[in-house]
Amino acid sequence: MIERNEHKPYWRHTRTQMLTSLLPFVVAMIVLPLYADALNDKRVLGVPLGYFLVCHGLAVIAFVTMAAFVNRQDAIDHWHGAHEDF
Amino acid sequence: MAFTSRTRLVNPRLGTYFGIFTAAFTALVLMAMMFEQLGGSDAMVRLSMFAVPIGLYAVIGLGSRAREVADYFACGRRVPAFFNGLVLAVTALGGAGFLAFTGSLLIVGFDAMCLSIGWCAGLVFMGVLFAPFVRKFGAYTVPTFLGRRFESRAVRVAAAGILGVPIMLLIAAEARFAGYAAAWMMGQSERLMAAVVVACAAGIVLLGGMRALTWSSVAKAIVAVLSLAVSASIIAILVSNLPLPQLTHGNVVRILARMEIAQGVPVVLAPPLAFDLPGDGPEPLVKRFVQSFGSVGSLSFVLMSFVAAAGIAASPGLLARVGTTPGVYEARKSLGWAVLVAGLVVLTLPAIAVYLRAMLTEQIAGHPGDRLPVWFQLLQQAGIAKIEAKAQIVKLASISFERDASLFALPLAAGFPQVLVYLSLAGALAAALAALASSLMTIAAIVAEDVIHGLPNETTPDAARMTAARIALIGAAFVSVWLAVAVPADPLQLFLWSLTFGAAGPFPVLLLAIWAKRTNAWGALASMAAGLFVTALAMLLAETGAIGLPSALAGAVGLPLALCAGFAASEITPAPGRTALDIVRDMRVPGGETLYDREVRLLRLRTRAPG
Repeated sequence: MIERNEHKPYWRHTRTQMLTSLLPFVVAMIVLPLYADALNDKRVLGVPLGYFLVCHGLAVIAFVTMAAFVNRQDAIDHWHGAHEDF
Repeated sequence: MAFTSRTRLVNPRLGTYFGIFTAAFTALVLMAMMFEQLGGSDAMVRLSMFAVPIGLYAVIGLGSRAREVADYFACGRRVPAFFNGLVLAVTALGGAGFLAFTGSLLIVGFDAMCLSIGWCAGLVFMGVLFAPFVRKFGAYTVPTFLGRRFESRAVRVAAAGILGVPIMLLIAAEARFAGYAAAWMMGQSERLMAAVVVACAAGIVLLGGMRALTWSSVAKAIVAVLSLAVSASIIAILVSNLPLPQLTHGNVVRILARMEIAQGVPVVLAPPLAFDLPGDGPEPLVKRFVQSFGSVGSLSFVLMSFVAAAGIAASPGLLARVGTTPGVYEARKSLGWAVLVAGLVVLTLPAIAVYLRAMLTEQIAGHPGDRLPVWFQLLQQAGIAKIEAKAQIVKLASISFERDASLFALPLAAGFPQVLVYLSLAGALAAALAALASSLMTIAAIVAEDVIHGLPNETTPDAARMTAARIALIGAAFVSVWLAVAVPADPLQLFLWSLTFGAAGPFPVLLLAIWAKRTNAWGALASMAAGLFVTALAMLLAETGAIGLPSALAGAVGLPLALCAGFAASEITPAPGRTALDIVRDMRVPGGETLYDREVRLLRLRTRAPG
């Protein structure tokens, strides 16, 4: 059970975690498609790089973002005693 | 691994049950293939590939009858993260993802990827911004959550009305996609089959509500993913000896790019706000596949990614599903699984588009128009493909292709047995059915819980609440059939409008409800009203040509204005009361009892207490 004086630090920590999870992903969502055509001149394993990064890269970034978020937020919950106590 | 208490409510035999289902479905496909190869009638093969999977979904749905309210609206809160994630991903993609997105990729290539980015980002946004808190609250519908959070019946009823707009648009779109796939399978008219599939979707979830929806949707998701994997994997093996189309289609992209350059396909550059995704008729292949911003401008691409992400993240049907998990941690984990499954699907769909486009570029373009392969002549006879000009030598730009047909045109073009064509259609139908049933259930739950019963009547007997939801579901099914038959718009356009209303209506108010403690009922009402009206106005002006903004992007105007209106209205009106602040504080902490269940329990105790 979370202590009364832990509420504010817990929420501050959670908010920071939310921002650090979403900001890099949002930046990638904007930047990668805009530079795709320029990157298509280069190849990775023979595939146009811009296409590869937008098609595969963003899906991988999305999954890594979500996996890291689940892991880190669970650690934050336990650190502040805010985790589920069945 | 320790068998933790988190899994105490989960049925340990779920994997076995769905293993049996997968085996039964695989056996059906193999038997249909044998029957076809032995010279059996095509009508029987079509009928078995259409009716047997729907029969299996119906057995699962009707067998999952709900007797308690928690079962009917939240599947007893015992859906494991993996199964919930699987259903979330396939429901979010729906027929729009399987049919329209694949076709858009075939026709405009890279530019259609604004949608796939939106799907993946939407699930990430939902997992980080909303899902844990909505699950901790535990309300059965999003309007109930908002009504309780802001302690306002007006907010609850207004939210029910405003959220109804994207849900009904989604229902109309998915009913059309499902009707399209079913019509190709059965050879009947699209409208008749739309009515049939809406009746099937509603019938399957009528008795069991969310419980029936969840378990039948797991079966639909398995069919959708399997059907997608089969054709793409076979072609991947033929092309690269590896059954991984997601990784190996890159080489075909490179060859395709070279062929397009050799055939003189022009580089097209669209203005930043252009938004020209293909419509539902045959559309010409006018731009290079990997070239960006030829049909969708750079600004429109980025805005569409965000509008789609916000629309998916705040989708009332998907958020209601979050409440079915055993806890907050499982809810977060289920979104992780959803991103994984959606990511794999949106990596497979481009592979299908690339393979088909490479076949068209290699075998049709640059060849004499009177000596085309048999498979292309079949597609022409079916009205799927057309060659515009009567030139001696066919050019890629003179080939037109029907957007929604590309998923099942690939096995046809590759010369696979007819069963694999029907398998692709069965997969698309399963995805559309999952999205359709989810939307029907959501609107029925909103009508029953938020409009009929409302805030003070949580102690209404369970039977009355479930009966109201069942009647609302039947009503919603009739409206859906009417929408599917009467609305002449392109289903992809309807889907995009649903996302844009979702981005401007529920997204800002949910963001404020969870992340801005100071927001009060006035702020919530102002946010929802501003989002809806500004988006509707922008859409109207866009459709009449008064502004240069595409109507699908109207939510990009509505969303920031809705956020500003919510903040401003909350600042100039009294701060929320102690109870609302307590709700926000408790909602933000994963530990402790589910808030909605606790409130209902206390309400019931109070009404039973003497005096």
